[in-house]
Amino acid sequence: MGISSQKALLFDSTRCIGCGACYVACKQVNRLPPAQENFLDEKLSAASVTVVNQRNGRFVRRLCMHCQNPTCVSVCPVAALEKTVEGPVIYHADRCMGCRYCMQACPFNVPTYEWNQTQPRIKKCTMCYERVKQGKSTACAEVCPTGATLFGNRDELIEEARARIRAHPAQYINHIYGLQEVGGTSVLVLSDVPIETLGYPTHVGTEPLPMLTWEVLRKIPNFVVVGSVLLGGIWWITKRRVEVQRAEQQEEV
Amino acid sequence: MSRIKLPQLTFWRVVLVIILIAGLYSTVIRFTRGLGASTALSDQFPWGLWIGFDVLCGVALAAGGFTLSAVVYIFHVERFRPIVRPAILTAFLGYLLVIVALIYDLGKPYNIWHPLVMWNTRSVMFEVAWCVMLYTLVLALEFSPMVFERWQLQKPLKIIHALTIPLVIVGVILSMLHQSSLGSLFLIVPHKLHALWYSPLLPVFFFISAVALGCAMTIFESFLSFRAFGKRLELDLLADLGKVMVVVLGVYLVLKGQDLLERGAWELAFEPTYAGRMFLAENLLGIIAPIILLLIARIRNNDFGLFVSAVMVVLGFIMNRLNVSITGIEANAGIFYFPSWMEIAVTTMIVALGFVLFGLAVRYLPVFPMKEQLPAERVVPLPAAALLHPAKRRTAALVLALTVILGGSAIALAYSGLQHRSRLMTTTDTPSTQPEAQVVEHSLQLPADKEFPQHEDSPGPVTFSHTTHVDPTQPSCTVCHARTFRIIETHQAPLSVNMHDRQACGLCHDGERAFSINDGCTTCHRLP
Ligand code: SF4
Ligand code: SF4
Repeated sequence: MGISSQKALLFDSTRCIGCGACYVACKQVNRLPPAQENFLDEKLSAASVTVVNQRNGRFVRRLCMHCQNPTCVSVCPVAALEKTVEGPVIYHADRCMGCRYCMQACPFNVPTYEWNQTQPRIKKCTMCYERVKQGKSTACAEVCPTGATLFGNRDELIEEARARIRAHPAQYINHIYGLQEVGGTSVLVLSDVPIETLGYPTHVGTEPLPMLTWEVLRKIPNFVVVGSVLLGGIWWITKRRVEVQRAEQQEEV
Repeated sequence: MSRIKLPQLTFWRVVLVIILIAGLYSTVIRFTRGLGASTALSDQFPWGLWIGFDVLCGVALAAGGFTLSAVVYIFHVERFRPIVRPAILTAFLGYLLVIVALIYDLGKPYNIWHPLVMWNTRSVMFEVAWCVMLYTLVLALEFSPMVFERWQLQKPLKIIHALTIPLVIVGVILSMLHQSSLGSLFLIVPHKLHALWYSPLLPVFFFISAVALGCAMTIFESFLSFRAFGKRLELDLLADLGKVMVVVLGVYLVLKGQDLLERGAWELAFEPTYAGRMFLAENLLGIIAPIILLLIARIRNNDFGLFVSAVMVVLGFIMNRLNVSITGIEANAGIFYFPSWMEIAVTTMIVALGFVLFGLAVRYLPVFPMKEQLPAERVVPLPAAALLHPAKRRTAALVLALTVILGGSAIALAYSGLQHRSRLMTTTDTPSTQPEAQVVEHSLQLPADKEFPQHEDSPGPVTFSHTTHVDPTQPSCTVCHARTFRIIETHQAPLSVNMHDRQACGLCHDGERAFSINDGCTTCHRLP
């Protein structure tokens, strides 16, 4: 599967009516604890891997952004998180050791934790990977009554988003959130108000974060080799000096 | 003199027992009810005291071990040989305690071995995991001669002896990697860590400060073990170590200053905020004050002065690690974290265990050089006794005065920082960073009409129209969704019995809020 057929979600906040259908559907397909009555105030948690919040008079969905170059995947020491060729970022609980570095590192604060379990798992949206593999849509997109959440190929959704902005330039702000953020994400967001009013982090930049640590990590092999040779050399030189000194002292005696 | 007899021994035992009880209770809770029940951690704040203190500071305890073994074995500066062993012992204990702390902190500690076989070479945590495993092994080997000597095991002693140099080299490399990698862990959170601490140079800062801490811990321990075990101190050596520490701290200070200037974060340090104040306190206490003290030769060559400077470096260092992992993250997390008492209890227990193990090792293993091997003039009195010694009284007074001024200002700064924090906590729950939305006029697109599936005993099909039910200017969709009508479930027909029971359409169609469902079928049902 090539990059062009990667799956993605388009969330158009101007169409979201806050009905919570996606929230309920997600809970059902993922067998999560039942929906809350006041779900509009709910935060992402192990019980709800997507939520619909009300922010400044708009309804906004929160869920894993399924980054193109995911920070969580790069930081996980045991490769428990994986960016699939289909697009979704998924989690292998059997590998995880629970260091929670993925939670600390995610620029969108997405992964959550089963804090009260003795065998806790990381919880986050998996873009219905099992369904997507079978060629189906995600549960949230399927139930969305207004088309606020759309599922499809990323490049087609980008076209759709552009078309919507072109068709209603007065309504939308001219920015597809997720097109470039942290190097691009597989969840795209449209809005009629500045993105930060919706509560999405906007200062994350357009560079993939994993580069920040990779720049350091890639130097390690070199460091080990050069360092060992250098230390060995110093040991050898100073040893010679000590021996010479000792010999001189003995001669004096 | 060498007999161990401390008047407070019983008192300390009582304290130890209390610490143990609290720690064990917390341990039981942690492992039977999970991290949620035992810690103050949350989805918004996943790393707390156990990472910030136990791991970040515990690993740095090992810095003395690698610095001194490099100096003695690789650079052949033989004068430091007598304090290599205590430093290696501290390093080994530090790593063992880090492993214990990790078992508490990891959600699935029984998977701690996974990095051995499941690789992700792009992860700093992967590097950290390997460093912990390998360096613990190296330290165990470096520590083993003390055990072999104690029981006169000549064969293994010889083998280890032959391996010394390669071991030291591997150890130094691993240690440098590990100290810096703890800083690299935070390179991935440029938007979450406060700009006073986030820097591309984090690995370098972590490394340099660890070396300074290594020196300080060696000085600190030498004094402590003297107090507890009557082991001798090599004051001139420690004073030299003090000199090295000044240089290292100086390098750190200059680099840190340059880095702040270059990133334009300089002014943040002097803003009256929680982070700013904590930053100043950390650097005043851990860097500037000890540099001032140790630059004065009279203080550097005085046991009390050395001891005080070392303590300052240790405290400042701990503050730095906590600032990076907690204060600096808190500033942007929009949430306040304070460790639960169980987190503190476990940490205290681990630290206490470290002291006990150190004490046992010093008592039963040849850690400190034998008395006979050192000339008598190297024996120095207790640090506290120095105060009473008339010849040293003036130096001691100077040390005290400087400590009160510098340490006092650091405490004052930290206190004012904490006040800023509590003010934040009381005024706003979450920092209000969201700008107000401009209201944009546009009409709501109502969903299309919806045909309900027809039940067997229904008089006719029902079509629901959003247009007649919803005011598009005030949609309030949540009156019906998703509780009464789960959008995903509308494939089921609502049953009339349920509707008479105030469910589904019957919730509103009760004759009060809207016409009653008993008012006739044709209003809703299309009769054939
Ligand atoms: S949003 Fe966070 S959890 Fe989701 S893929 Fe990106 S880094 Fe990973
Ligand atoms: S908590 Fe699990 S999934 Fe997250 S980084 Fe650690 S090992 Fe990987």
